[in-house]
Amino acid sequence: MEVIISKNNSETIAEFIGRLDTPASPEVAKAVEPLMQDAAGTIILDCTQMSYISSSGLRIFLTLRKASVSNGGRIIIRNISNDIRQVFMMTGFLNLFEIE
Amino acid sequence: MQRYLDPHCEMILEEYRDNLPEIKKKAEEINAKLNSMLKDAGLLVAALEYRVKSEDSLAGKLELKGSKYASLEDITDIIGLRVITFYTDDIAKVSSAIERLFEVDWANSVDKRKAHEIDSFGYLSLHYICYAPGFPYRFEIQLRTVLQHAWANMNHDTGYKSGVEIPKSYLRNLSRLAGILELVDEQFSIIRSELTDYRRRVRALVASGNLSEVPLDGDTYRSFLELEPFDTLNKRIAAVNQAEIHPVSLLPYLQVFKLIGCKTLGDLEKVIRDYSDAAYQIASYQIGLTDLDILASSIGPQNLCVAFILKSGGGRAGIRMMFDLLNGESSNNDTMAEILVEQANSLPFMNNK
Repeated sequence: MEVIISKNNSETIAEFIGRLDTPASPEVAKAVEPLMQDAAGTIILDCTQMSYISSSGLRIFLTLRKASVSNGGRIIIRNISNDIRQVFMMTGFLNLFEIE
Repeated sequence: MQRYLDPHCEMILEEYRDNLPEIKKKAEEINAKLNSMLKDAGLLVAALEYRVKSEDSLAGKLELKGSKYASLEDITDIIGLRVITFYTDDIAKVSSAIERLFEVDWANSVDKRKAHEIDSFGYLSLHYICYAPGFPYRFEIQLRTVLQHAWANMNHDTGYKSGVEIPKSYLRNLSRLAGILELVDEQFSIIRSELTDYRRRVRALVASGNLSEVPLDGDTYRSFLELEPFDTLNKRIAAVNQAEIHPVSLLPYLQVFKLIGCKTLGDLEKVIRDYSDAAYQIASYQIGLTDLDILASSIGPQNLCVAFILKSGGGRAGIRMMFDLLNGESSNNDTMAEILVEQANSLPFMNNK
């Protein structure tokens, strides 16, 4: 899995490409660490090219959300596929995140 | 501004300049002590503010009535603090704490609330003059509510410092406003007191199990959640994959429970009792074939609502309405509703098994 982080005006964008599964999670967790510095602002998690998310991936998203909430920031998940949306729904996390 | 001070007043001003660093330090200390006391007592106030009298303000005071003061020690508001409370009741609590915290100069403290005749309305505030140990100057603490503070600020323009003659009609309007605000302050306190009483009664009803007598609203729902009513169902679902339950707020589900017709906590308890098996069937069908081992604590309430809606014939439109309430309106909610309906149609609870 590849994570590309970029900035667009006041937003920080993290683009996830590939499968966010258990083997990929440690590397992804490390790759998104810089986002914590922008936790007070708006962070976009762009999932347009994400094909799968596991529990480990959900935990990474939850960690980012926690940092964002405690810093008064905002996390937006963008362009998830129906399969991934279903994972959020059946784990009960669908209404926890702002999903566009 | 150019001030014309006699040598005696100049001497007092000199004393002020010499001691200003110590006065500023003491002001900070007193403010910190007061702030800490309010926190310890659990008293939520609208504001706590302090100031050290400026040289210009002191010079103005001395120019007006300097002969009244033998030295700087005679000026009681070199340091001024103000506690602004939300409720009138809180003034009594804060004042009792101040009396325990500082030595009060009762001869110079004023309760303006008692100063009014029965037919007059105006400035209502409690002014304490206090001593700080080892500090030669007294300080003032003013206590007032937010509304009294607003009125006092409005009135300030017309007060003794303006030096402008104010039309009587304007003063009369201000006085009428003071009367209204006094009534509003009193009503706020009554409402708070009634609300506290209502919450106490609801907690007692919830604790005694008389849930059918308790209307479902934000307060009662919060009290109900303290009993962890979805815990059993959540643990049962989590056991399917030995999943961790991640705590999330269940408050958004209040509107969904209302949507499905729950009017009392008894109705909600009945939904939990009657639909837990169906909710479990939906959840275990969805996660049973996955390795998902983290679930939100809303998993139980979510599937209870889905089960109720589908069993009651609400169908896809009903599920979509639920997701619209929880997630905001979106066509994606319809897609999720469609998937859920399809999944549920093959489950025993939808086929009366």
